[in-house]
Amino acid sequence: MAARGRCPECGSGSLVEDAHYAQQQLVCAACGCVVSEGLLTTTYTDEEHLREVAYSQSTGQKEQLSRCLQRGIRRVQDLCKVLQLPAVFEETAVSYFQRALQLPAFHLVSLEKKELLGGCCVFVTCRQHNWPLTMGTICSLLYAKQDLFASVYLSLQKELGLSVPALSLADLVTTHLNSFRLFQPSANVPAPFLEDREKLLARTMGLVELASETWLVTGRHPVPVVTAAAFLAWQSLQPGPRLSCPLARFCRLAGVDLPPPAHLRLKELLEILLGMASQLSWLRAFRLDKKTVVKHVGDLLQHRVFLLKNAFSQQDGEEQQDTALGQDPDSPGQGPPSSLVAQEQGCPSAGKRQRGGSLRPLLPPCLLRPRKRLRAAAPSAPASTGDEPISDSEIEQYLRSPEEVQAFRKAKGWL
Amino acid sequence: MEGASPLEQYLESCSWQDDFSTSPHLSTPMSPYDIELPIQTAEDGVFASQLSQSKELHTDFSSVDLSFLPDVTQDNKEQNLSEDGHGTQKELDGSLASNEDSGVFMDESSLSHPGTAQPSFLECPPMTPTTPPESSGIVPQLQNIVSTVNLACKLDLKNIALHARNAEYNPKRFAAVIMRIREPRTTALIFSSGKIVCTGAKSEDQSRLAARKYARVVQKLGFPARFLDFKIQNMVASCDVRFPIQLEGLVLTHQQFSSYEPELFPGLVYKMVKPRIVLLIFVSGKVVLTGAKNRSEIYEAFENIYPILRSFKKPS
Repeated sequence: MAARGRCPECGSGSLVEDAHYAQQQLVCAACGCVVSEGLLTTTYTDEEHLREVAYSQSTGQKEQLSRCLQRGIRRVQDLCKVLQLPAVFEETAVSYFQRALQLPAFHLVSLEKKELLGGCCVFVTCRQHNWPLTMGTICSLLYAKQDLFASVYLSLQKELGLSVPALSLADLVTTHLNSFRLFQPSANVPAPFLEDREKLLARTMGLVELASETWLVTGRHPVPVVTAAAFLAWQSLQPGPRLSCPLARFCRLAGVDLPPPAHLRLKELLEILLGMASQLSWLRAFRLDKKTVVKHVGDLLQHRVFLLKNAFSQQDGEEQQDTALGQDPDSPGQGPPSSLVAQEQGCPSAGKRQRGGSLRPLLPPCLLRPRKRLRAAAPSAPASTGDEPISDSEIEQYLRSPEEVQAFRKAKGWL
Repeated sequence: MEGASPLEQYLESCSWQDDFSTSPHLSTPMSPYDIELPIQTAEDGVFASQLSQSKELHTDFSSVDLSFLPDVTQDNKEQNLSEDGHGTQKELDGSLASNEDSGVFMDESSLSHPGTAQPSFLECPPMTPTTPPESSGIVPQLQNIVSTVNLACKLDLKNIALHARNAEYNPKRFAAVIMRIREPRTTALIFSSGKIVCTGAKSEDQSRLAARKYARVVQKLGFPARFLDFKIQNMVASCDVRFPIQLEGLVLTHQQFSSYEPELFPGLVYKMVKPRIVLLIFVSGKVVLTGAKNRSEIYEAFENIYPILRSFKKPS
């Protein structure tokens, strides 16, 4: 069998493939010189003969996934296991991660960002299945900075064109309360602080719904609202021993972090409850304050629709007159029927613009307490064309005099 | 026919009478509405032409049988029809329809008279709403304008920083001189290639004047500066609609345009497609519009978003 090439020694073209002890050899038929041994080799034999084989040429197990991708997928799977997510979530998250990593936007980013990318994929998957996972949880699991996570999340959403539904507050309440350790007796939780899970959950839900109806939730981080609502609900279920326990201690006992805005949300919720309590007939005798109103949370939640309508002026000045015509028959119909109450209710719902400060409007807190001094709109400059002449003196005020330049040079040591 | 609802009366009149004159007029709001709406919003405040058109419509509709409409006088007929048009417009916007019957009328008429609608279209003028529905009366105020200009000469930044009082230059931090002037109150980034970015002006003319002043300063420092390719790159405006907005509802109905992540940012980011403007909508009713290249885009975007925001005015 004539193979290609010529014998280096004698130049003859007749090279024969021969096997010498099962090792292939190319031998010159004329002079017997062994041209080469093992021409048809595999990479392993090449490597045995200390010849380097490039990774891209290896015919051995060609890895289908790059090492980076493999590591990322493993990380995503670990995250799903830690969060105890169903198997479907894991597959979806892994597929998102693979798709995202192919895109040029994510292919060459730092390793830190790639890890965050895995976390983002898990987060997006959970959101799409209405599984209440907060960014805070993912960030703490990944030890990530939240602003970096935010930027990766937004770019992932844009690149893959994903539609992510909003976080459902009801599910978040359930999940968040599950992490509270107040349902089982334990060493550091005194007996009067233990609570039944279902009751606490129901009342917290009611308070969270009240908060969302009174503009306390829109635009704010959801977790502090849930924490504050849970605290109020827990206090109201057994006010006696629990009123003296502050929010910080409650969170420590429950084994939950206390987010800083929770104090403010608590204050706002109490304010709303106090406003509502002022409309409840059997509570008018009491002078309620922030501590004592907690005892009546149950009643307030039960009649919340009626109380909200009467405790706060719902609409702006212009609208009140339109709705006042329809509102009068409504309010005395609901709630505790009492002639005294009906008379007093008739007054607020008559649609007067000025309330004299007794009823505050139902607005988001940022509108009730405007922090910024509202600047008067800048007086519009007399019609400028942009092509006005520029005086030399005006420009010269921006230039340094030669003495200044000297002094400056000496001081700075430039040039 | 007396006890029947207006809808039933209409359906009877459709199927029993061979009167095609009713249906095309009712379906007119549907066809040109996609075309009419942008034109209408682009002309801010040109009510006169629309009013004259409405008078034409008034005379046309006097021949139409509108007996099914409840309790309408001749004056209100026109208003009702404009509300119909407005109603379908709102429907397509995804908000609640003000007049639900109008939507049903459209379907019925298109189903029963598919081909015959065409000839009558050519006769009657395209129907526009008589007035722009609930024009807001609020004008967004420009807050910031970013513009660029090319001086077309290489600059020595160290020299400029040395000879100018109002300049700062820190090459390790940023490769440009930051210069400020007092009138108009603006800041400029001056690069060694001779390009300037001017920010902080409150109107287009002020931005141009400021850019010219910066060019003049550079000229006085001895460089052969010119003033080429002045272009406004971005305009930012803000306004207040004066009522609180339910952001959760807005993100549900306009999911393809909005992004609301309360954990990240308290406002809703609304990416409007036409015109290409990004709006930041906050619960307090304040709206920030950005990404515009000229003033009309801002006004158009605000007029587009205002009816949407009005539908989310009251707490649910």
